[in-house]
Amino acid sequence: MKCTDLYRRLTDHAEGLLDKGDCAAIDKHLRECSPCGELRRDLEALARLCRESSRPRMPEGVRRRIETLLRESA
Amino acid sequence: MEGPVAAADREALSHALVEHGDRLYALALRVSRDPDLAGDAVQEAFATALQRIADFRGESSLGTWLHRIVYNKAIDLLRHRGRLSPLPDEESGAAPADDRLAQVPAWSRPPDQILYGEETRRALDEALVHLTPQQRAVFTLREMEGLATDEVASMLELEPGAVRVHLHRARLRLRSLLGEHFKGGMVAS
Repeated sequence: MKCTDLYRRLTDHAEGLLDKGDCAAIDKHLRECSPCGELRRDLEALARLCRESSRPRMPEGVRRRIETLLRESA
Repeated sequence: MEGPVAAADREALSHALVEHGDRLYALALRVSRDPDLAGDAVQEAFATALQRIADFRGESSLGTWLHRIVYNKAIDLLRHRGRLSPLPDEESGAAPADDRLAQVPAWSRPPDQILYGEETRRALDEALVHLTPQQRAVFTLREMEGLATDEVASMLELEPGAVRVHLHRARLRLRSLLGEHFKGGMVAS
């Protein structure tokens, strides 16, 4: 497997969409190719950062305007 | 508004505002990068939902339907305000560009030393500016909200395969953009 083949299949691999043979080939490449291993490591770190990020909250003014809209639709 | 909305429909939308309000606003904000526009997009989305809820057939959940309306409103408002400029390689299907992005130097800060502090939050926020609105929407819903690919596809009216392509490109671009932030043994600010 070439590095470019791996780039294009990494997301499918992470989502469990590949068959057993393809998964084994990707896992082998990740073990043996340092830059690709680092790519996966960075993407996993990015995913973790995103999971830890806080979601912005809807401002109260916007919420009140929508509540008014809903009330006045009666 | 064409006429009074049935009490049950109003109740359902009021409940959806409580349950999904912050997530809807976050989607609009991350797509538009503009708090005022995001507020307008969510408000207009609820106005549209009030008009159309009688036709809502429940083929998706109410939350999914509202996300779809909010996303479309945010894109429409960006377009009307002349702020929907595609990045050079947007939608070009440019696999070679993806390959080049995948080959940028790795973050040299070990993942277990990466903490989600204020500096990192700001760096991630600034990096998101460089994604297309569609990539931001996919990345927000899939990676930041943790929703399933099929659900994101339904919200954005995309095929699941297209969601995965946008997600892949967004991840590679963010990894490249955040390289400066995570270089060396300390967070570069």
